[in-house]
Amino acid sequence: MRNRAAWLPWALPAIVLVTVFFVAPFLLNVRFAFSSWTSFRSEITWNGLENVRTLIDQDLLANAVTVTVLYAILCMAIQNTVSLSLALALQRTSGINTVFRSAFFLPTLISPLAAGYIWRGLLAPDGAVNSFLGIEWAWLGEPSTALVVVAFIDAWKWSGLITLVYIAGLNSIPKSLLESATVDGAGPWTRFRRVLFPMLAPALTFNVAVTLVGALSAYDVIAATTGGGPGDHTRALNVVMRQQWGQGFFGSASALGFTVTLLVIATAVPLVWWLRRREVTG
Amino acid sequence: MRAVLKYTALTLFAIPWVLVPVWLVVVNSFKPAGEAAELGLGLPRTWAIAENYGIVLDRGGYLTGLLNSLKVTVPIVVAVVFLGAAAAWAFGRSRSRWLQAAYFVMGLSILLPPSIIPTVYLLRALSLDGGSLGYVLTMTGCRLGIVIFLATGFVRAFPRDLEDAAAIDGASRPQVFVRILLPLLRPVLFVGGVILIINVWNDFFFALFLLQGSANATLPLSLFQFASGTLQSLNWNLVFAHVLLTTLPLVAVYVIAQKRVLAGLTEGALKG
Repeated sequence: MRNRAAWLPWALPAIVLVTVFFVAPFLLNVRFAFSSWTSFRSEITWNGLENVRTLIDQDLLANAVTVTVLYAILCMAIQNTVSLSLALALQRTSGINTVFRSAFFLPTLISPLAAGYIWRGLLAPDGAVNSFLGIEWAWLGEPSTALVVVAFIDAWKWSGLITLVYIAGLNSIPKSLLESATVDGAGPWTRFRRVLFPMLAPALTFNVAVTLVGALSAYDVIAATTGGGPGDHTRALNVVMRQQWGQGFFGSASALGFTVTLLVIATAVPLVWWLRRREVTG
Repeated sequence: MRAVLKYTALTLFAIPWVLVPVWLVVVNSFKPAGEAAELGLGLPRTWAIAENYGIVLDRGGYLTGLLNSLKVTVPIVVAVVFLGAAAAWAFGRSRSRWLQAAYFVMGLSILLPPSIIPTVYLLRALSLDGGSLGYVLTMTGCRLGIVIFLATGFVRAFPRDLEDAAAIDGASRPQVFVRILLPLLRPVLFVGGVILIINVWNDFFFALFLLQGSANATLPLSLFQFASGTLQSLNWNLVFAHVLLTTLPLVAVYVIAQKRVLAGLTEGALKG
């Protein structure tokens, strides 16, 4: 069992599938992003930054990047606040907590697309939310609220799963640590800040990274709710990509996909580096 | 006293967070179109259950969608779990530099977003575009990374004595894999499998680009086509009936496996 070649067959199917269907498209994308490729001219030729320039000239790129980054930050903030609060409340495994955990997990089972339709209904100008609040407001139609609401829906969909990751993180903290902090006279807030929060760092970093990176690829909820509107206020990168693709501008669409990749790298590298550093020191 | 306060707060939070959205879908899927357009939370004045669900089953492409969703989800989950476990065994045990480099690439594939447009190009070049086989292969290639990553951590944490002992007793490698590795990896494969099922069943983005024509449409695609079919305003009663039917299979599986899902996700399979 110790000779080298003998392990290869076990990993080979996975390596082939990942190479052909993930790595190869990834490398091709670097080429297509800088190539002229449309439905009008199927020949793919190198054209440098032409796609990027066209997207900038059409005022599409800067807005899409801003919307995507804001969306990701909002999503991450809402999702982690809700999930961490729920996890702290439901940490102990008891009968009643299991019922609540189960209930809060339910939105995770709903597809982001369906979640979009559900909240579009709830937040309609004459919908249930407005009639409860006694106002009439087009949550998804007004530039000031559309992006926040769409990010909220995405966060709503995923919060159940993230809550469970936080609960796992909380349960991995030794009880003795909290007990000795209590004996030393630490109040609930001090215990949270000095003991729980630092010990929770791996789960926190994992969740922040996962939610940020996931939200940078946002598409489904936007497609089901605003379609990018009002105006271009929720037109994230993937939404523009789909539009460019639909219009036959495949090179520009690739450039937009590549922009998402760059944003993910710019987000993930510092986060992973920070996580590694914490693991070494603490 | 504090417990009473806590659970009151949790209940008050759960009502708008879970109960109202679910109720909205259920109750409005029972109403005729005009009444559902009000998007109220009251009981139907006229019940239209049979009509609504009849239309969704008939014109909404629900049954085709259900079959197509099963046809792609089952192979993807089976392939990812078993090929992932086999690869994780190799990555966890081999010291080969090449395999460690490949393992690093697997890790990158979790983090980086899949490049969908070159994927369409590639599938077209392989004559696999538009159909479910291309979709299955793509999803498998893009989702293997996470399961491999979780399971390799697990393999490394276990001493190899058991495997060595079995080999000395004359067990072949496939036998060691089936009798020792798979049972060992069961918790982490279960958790990975659950997340994968949710992820694949609900996938819309990949399906939108990779599956062509209503004959291949999975449930999210058929929901989108159905909802976008009416141009101006949505027929809320029908959309909600479709949403309910689309979500139901997953909820049913969850209700059956609920205890194990929650325990698996909270008690550490992710800790590695």
